[in-house]
Amino acid sequence: MPDDVSAAERRTRFEALAPELIEPLRRFLVRRTDPATADDVLADTLLVCWRRLDDVPVDAALPWAYGVARNCLANAQRGSRRQDRLAAKVATVDPPAVTVPGPDAGGGRHEERLEEALAQLTATEAELVRLWAWEQLTPAEIATVLGLTPNAVSIRLHRAREKLKELLRKDGRKDDGGSGHEESREGRAP
Amino acid sequence: MTDDELQQRLQARDPAASLRPADPTWVARLLEDTMSADLDTHETRDSGTRNRSPLTWLVAAAAVLIAGIGVFGLLTNDPDSAPEPSAGDTPSVSTVPTVTELGAPAPSNAKCMVPNAQTLSQAQVAFSGTVQEVAADVVVLAPDRFYTGEPTDVVEVRSDPALLKALIGSVDFQVDQRYLVSANDGQVTVCGFSGVYSDDLAALYTAAFPG
Repeated sequence: MPDDVSAAERRTRFEALAPELIEPLRRFLVRRTDPATADDVLADTLLVCWRRLDDVPVDAALPWAYGVARNCLANAQRGSRRQDRLAAKVATVDPPAVTVPGPDAGGGRHEERLEEALAQLTATEAELVRLWAWEQLTPAEIATVLGLTPNAVSIRLHRAREKLKELLRKDGRKDDGGSGHEESREGRAP
Repeated sequence: MTDDELQQRLQARDPAASLRPADPTWVARLLEDTMSADLDTHETRDSGTRNRSPLTWLVAAAAVLIAGIGVFGLLTNDPDSAPEPSAGDTPSVSTVPTVTELGAPAPSNAKCMVPNAQTLSQAQVAFSGTVQEVAADVVVLAPDRFYTGEPTDVVEVRSDPALLKALIGSVDFQVDQRYLVSANDGQVTVCGFSGVYSDDLAALYTAAFPG
């Protein structure tokens, strides 16, 4: 590895980069897992960023880091030994307050429906929608996160949104004692 | 419902909306732990604080300072709403994944030969990969290994819908399935040269492209 000078440069670069990533990454992870796992995966993600500092794209560091966080989270969720440890930690340290829907400002049933509809999307569709709505990324940035082409992201995101809207519409009709009439819908995801 | 309305409705359910900024001390410690990790091997965070040189502590102090400034900046710039990812205003054109574009072959009545390594070895592109998407005019694959050809992040097979439909029918492209695909002159080979990943077909690819 590099000599002392480039090691120091490396630290300087990381110290400039990391603080910008930490808050968005924390939010990204809290949206997708319990707080204890989120903290662990944040540490893993930063470690990958540190080790692969030369690979971090200058103009898209955050989407790139989201992609890393996504992989680290998948790894964490695969390791069952680790999950057991985390489960214990969650139980003792902190209830996952922020990931549990609190008392509603906007009407319970209405919002429950949204969660149900989201749950009916495929994993990729739901992730596309989350990256769009919560992380507020552009298709090109989402493409960096998911390793797809921007084109493919645009197409799939459009379909996912339409599917979600359709699910919400259908559910709304059901609630209102609707006719049960089902429109033909375009863009069913593959 | 418009896209904007949908987005607003989703944002109202953002689990991170009430997340407070991290404790600066915690952040500083996290950064320090990260940078004290060996670059090549895994170091557990439990053992990370042992045998630390004075230089490390100096760097840690600098990290505390920088993180402090960073958090201060976040708080003063944007006290109410959650700060947006800073990448939102930078186009990420240069990081767009590399793509190999292939086409679908024109339908032919010619008889198929038995797939063999010698014929396969003439392909300019050969790879294994998983189908990400099947649309009317494109099949998107995420390659995991290139046997020959310039490796790229993504392979897209584009064609007009009729030709692509015929190709999808003959290779049976399905989302999340892994395939071995080869192409001559930019067109995906059929007749058993491209197909669902199997040990037999993989052996053929390995024989055609040794090393």
